[in-house]
Amino acid sequence: MTTAQHDHVGPQPYPEHYEPPHGPRWRLFFGPGLGRALWMTPLFFSLGMFLVVGLRWWWGWPPAFDWTVIVAIGGMVAAPVGFLTGIGAFDYWLHYISGRPTRPEDHSGHGATSWKDYFRVNTDHKVIGIQYLVTTFFFFTVGGFMAMLFRAELARPGLQFLDSQSFNGLVSVHATLMIFLFIIPAFAGIANFVVPLMLGAPDMAFPRLNALSYWLLPIAGVMFLASFVAPGGAFGAGWTGYAPLSVDGPVGNIFFNMGVQWAGASSVMTALNFLVTIITMRAPGMTFWRMPLLVWANFTTSLLVVIATPFIAGSQFFVFFDRVLHTSFFTPDGGGYVLGYQHIFWFYSHPAVYIMMLPGFGIVSEVISTMARKPIFGYRLMALSLIGILVLGFSVWAHHMFVAGMANWLRVPMMITTLLIAVPTGIKIFSWIATLWRGRIHLTTPMLFALGFVTMFTIGGLSGIYLGAVPIDIHASDTYFIVAHIHYVLFGGSVFTIFAGIYYWFPKMTGRMYDERLGKAHFWLTFVSFNATFFPMHYLGLRGMNRRVFDYPAAFGGLNFFITIASFVLGASVVVFFYNMIMSWARGPIAEGNPWRSHTLEWQVSSPPPIFNFDEIPQVVGGPYEYGVPGARHAVLAPAREVEEVPV
Amino acid sequence: MTSHAEAAAHHHGPPIANQSSRVDARVLGMLLFIASETMLFGSFFTVYFFVRVANPDAPSTWPPPPYHFPVFVAGVNTAILVTSSFTMHWALQSIKRGNRPAFLAGMTLTFLMGLAFLLTQLVEYLHVGFNTSSGAFASVFFGLTGLHGAHVFVGLTLLGMVLVRGFRGHFSPQHHHGVELPGIYWHFVDVMWIVVYSAVYLL
Amino acid sequence: MRRGIVQLVALGVVIAVLLTLVALLFKWLPSSASVEFNRIQDVYWFATAIAIGIFSLVSAVVIFSVWKWRVPLDDDADGPPIHGHTGLEIVWTAVPAVLVIAIGIVSAVVLAKNGEAGSTPPLQVNVIGQQFTWKFVYPGYGNKTSGELVLPIHRQTKFTMTSVDVIHSFWVPNFGQKMDAVPGIKTTIYVTPTRLGNYQVVCAELCGLGHATMRAKARVVTQGQFVSWVKGK
Ligand code: HEA
Ligand code: HEA
Ligand code: CUA
Ligand SMILES: [Cu+2]
Repeated sequence: MTTAQHDHVGPQPYPEHYEPPHGPRWRLFFGPGLGRALWMTPLFFSLGMFLVVGLRWWWGWPPAFDWTVIVAIGGMVAAPVGFLTGIGAFDYWLHYISGRPTRPEDHSGHGATSWKDYFRVNTDHKVIGIQYLVTTFFFFTVGGFMAMLFRAELARPGLQFLDSQSFNGLVSVHATLMIFLFIIPAFAGIANFVVPLMLGAPDMAFPRLNALSYWLLPIAGVMFLASFVAPGGAFGAGWTGYAPLSVDGPVGNIFFNMGVQWAGASSVMTALNFLVTIITMRAPGMTFWRMPLLVWANFTTSLLVVIATPFIAGSQFFVFFDRVLHTSFFTPDGGGYVLGYQHIFWFYSHPAVYIMMLPGFGIVSEVISTMARKPIFGYRLMALSLIGILVLGFSVWAHHMFVAGMANWLRVPMMITTLLIAVPTGIKIFSWIATLWRGRIHLTTPMLFALGFVTMFTIGGLSGIYLGAVPIDIHASDTYFIVAHIHYVLFGGSVFTIFAGIYYWFPKMTGRMYDERLGKAHFWLTFVSFNATFFPMHYLGLRGMNRRVFDYPAAFGGLNFFITIASFVLGASVVVFFYNMIMSWARGPIAEGNPWRSHTLEWQVSSPPPIFNFDEIPQVVGGPYEYGVPGARHAVLAPAREVEEVPV
Repeated sequence: MTSHAEAAAHHHGPPIANQSSRVDARVLGMLLFIASETMLFGSFFTVYFFVRVANPDAPSTWPPPPYHFPVFVAGVNTAILVTSSFTMHWALQSIKRGNRPAFLAGMTLTFLMGLAFLLTQLVEYLHVGFNTSSGAFASVFFGLTGLHGAHVFVGLTLLGMVLVRGFRGHFSPQHHHGVELPGIYWHFVDVMWIVVYSAVYLL
Repeated sequence: MRRGIVQLVALGVVIAVLLTLVALLFKWLPSSASVEFNRIQDVYWFATAIAIGIFSLVSAVVIFSVWKWRVPLDDDADGPPIHGHTGLEIVWTAVPAVLVIAIGIVSAVVLAKNGEAGSTPPLQVNVIGQQFTWKFVYPGYGNKTSGELVLPIHRQTKFTMTSVDVIHSFWVPNFGQKMDAVPGIKTTIYVTPTRLGNYQVVCAELCGLGHATMRAKARVVTQGQFVSWVKGK
């Protein structure tokens, strides 16, 4: 691990003498890349398998060929390592470890000249950002497609075309992909592209670690999907994977246990990278109180990730050990404690819902301020409320366990802290709408999504308040009311902000403009069908429809049919989005450097940005949102040399 | 880096990033990583708490009879690991002062002690008289000591790296980050062991 | 500006009235059949009133601003540089805090009442969840065991739950009370039925392949009917 400063000092001029590393044919299989990954993955799998079989044979544990363990160690630990080694994620470090002089960074792993460069280990944060976004939208489509399947099943009571196991599998994998392979990494992708630019930094602090974090992600995704071919079917204990069901269930559950480890490792490394970047690589003059709110949001999110994620890793390890090593962490017969799982799981997964929301808050702050042409109302309080959510977020996990049978005395304190989260969140909502007040509102597509977010998230947050009130939760827990809440905060919240962010930075990322008319069509189609799909679920839940069921009382048939139809329209709206993105990326009109006339730094360079972002590090001279202040600037691009900044 | 200094003077690479904090990026990265690792241990301690304290039918004696933990062997092991932290520190100080033989001796000692710890731990596993399926106390025992063992293993890998590079003469009084970072990690592994030892064996 | 405020308030009121109609005209909650659910419904209506107020405010400001201050996309003027207003910020920190704490207090009171044993000893029913059936045991009546839940009206019942395999959750929507049945521990809730009739016991925690169909019948009967049922074989 070396810092960016070190990485980029190399003797090779760029880009004049840039040689793409697609060399002679043998390099295809022995040079870093997908070709080498193709044979290294099975090789490592076999190594893992021999290790398992050998050890079991040596210790005399029958049977020597235990496929559960072989798949777990060979397939889910060794093979991914083989894949990463093959693709070249470790090349630099292997050189370093072996004590050979490390190759000077020649920037061959930097920037992209053709689409092929997106399939290599690339250390450029802009390339990585796009790699993230394309990957995550792929998994969004897959997860959404699963939703279409089980929604079709739910159109009528009773079983239609699925069976109980595949229904549970589809629901669980749907949620798992959406959370671990879409929302969390999509935010990481946007931040990867934008944050270093906003900070006035040439790249992230640890570019190679950044590349590695990205490549861990498809591994996790493939693992989740692969569970469908496991004997007994995909993991079907919900995305929450409660023990002991996940311990006794079919072997597909270990795909969840281990997939989460890869996704989690990816997100911890990225978060660490963001934190170090934000702390040590801000441009001169960029004090904490001059950072754009997107940077603040990613700063707090990253803290959440670094602190909380190890807990889900732990929880999944325990379940995994309970199955594979026959331990009894959560099995009462051996002296284990069942509720322990839920405490540990939610100690991550509640903060995780803010991991899935705070970056969105950041995006919306950028969009609203730019599009309303006004400074963010109450900038400091906006930043502080993020920290408030961060702190409170760690003290509310047991609100998912109000009816789980946990200690009764925990209920009221957890309820109070849960409800109090409405305060910092409310500050944000009110500040956004105050920013709109008397602004000059440009109703572009990103702005539409941002405003859609503000209203829809308020609904989702308010249903959260119902759930936070223990008596209501006792009735509503584990019903479709929860499903409604989930989708209002995650779709109306996170996904809307992701759409807003994609549209907003699309010109910056691709150098082209998206089609505004299609964008608006996408918004309205989504907005209407989203509400038609998920609002009636509140009603279903309160009336008595429990969640995670393929069958329900006939009385709910009509409404469920309506919801299914609406959800198909929602699916179709995504097609409009993809069409717009693909067509505009291929042949949209060329975008200017700063089409939104925004003040933040990423817009002060060309679209797409130059390979090293800035020719010289800019000098920050004011706040990021000084719209309407005569002569105000956030930064000057040719730094004033005489200004001596004391590092903070 | 110095070897490319002339090239860097007129290179077309990126601008040098502004250093906006006094903290070194690599040290900060390592500290954050350790924070995350601490939380991972935290989740194992949490499950220990649940099994031993929160559980209504937790055993009254720890470990439940007829089992025993090898407190003495582990105590000796503790002493070894704590000592290795001191030799690590000595090695780092030596390279900072330019005393290469002392640095190499210190690193070798540290490495050997870490290895001795790990091997002792493994041998102990074979002789404790219970295995992972013997109940929740065993789950916790193997969980915490195993997790720690895995960290010792990672630490040893890092130390091995330092050794290889050390013998090739890669470190100098000006350039010893490659020693310092594994050192920080090693101290963390060491401190963690003291907590694990106290919680699992002594309490 | 004065006119603007009036318009904004009018818009907010219209939205609030519409939402109130939606809240009242549909029957969002199943009809209550227990004392406990009556109390829960009170909390529900309290939260609903607050939620309608908050949502009307937020959406009214959003719609109003867009309606009033929308400009064509090629407009290149900036808005007024308003950076904040300490008074306002204090208000929108304090008011929500007060509101949610009010919800918290109401909830805590209801929770305490719902979890309290009355003066007469409650009827004891042990609930055992097992993939994928329910079993109800009446320890006060010679451990009578039944696959159907039968309860006397107006008598507080204490349910003690456990499970023999994975986690299940005992829920009768019309009683409004719910609690997981967890292997290895015992959990409790109280229900005091107030209406005669047939209800459904639903398993609300994903427990495997048969989760959707893990249902049982619940009957609330008169005291006399209950005694004769429980005495029957
Ligand atoms: C992006 C994700 C996200 C976000 C942001 C939230 C936000 C909140 N959530 Fe949600 N939640 C989930 C995702 C999220 N949740 C998921 C996925 C689950 C289900 C997991 C599963 O079981 O599968 C869940 C489940 C869940 C439960 C458990 C239900 C159960 O299983 O029984 C509860 C209970 O308290 C809860 C509460 C809250 C609260 C109080 C907030 C608050 O943060 C909301 C705060 C916001 C507002 C309140 C609106 C804006 C505020 C104002 C305008 C100010 C004025 C407001 C008032 C005065 C009230 N959530
Ligand atoms: C960010 C998270 C996220 C997102 C975006 C979604 C998106 C959707 N979700 Fe999901 N959902 C969850 C997170 C999310 N969900 C979680 C956490 C759970 C809880 C799981 C659990 O209980 O464990 C859940 C559970 C859940 C349930 C409850 C299942 C149950 O309890 O039995 C339902 C039911 O309707 C549902 C529906 C949908 C639908 C219709 C969409 C739609 O918005 C999807 C729309 C998107 C697409 C369709 C994708 C792309 C388009 C195509 C593939 C084009 C072709 C298709 C057609 C035109 C038909 N979801
Ligand atoms: Cu039993 Cu669900
Ligand atoms: Cu939560």
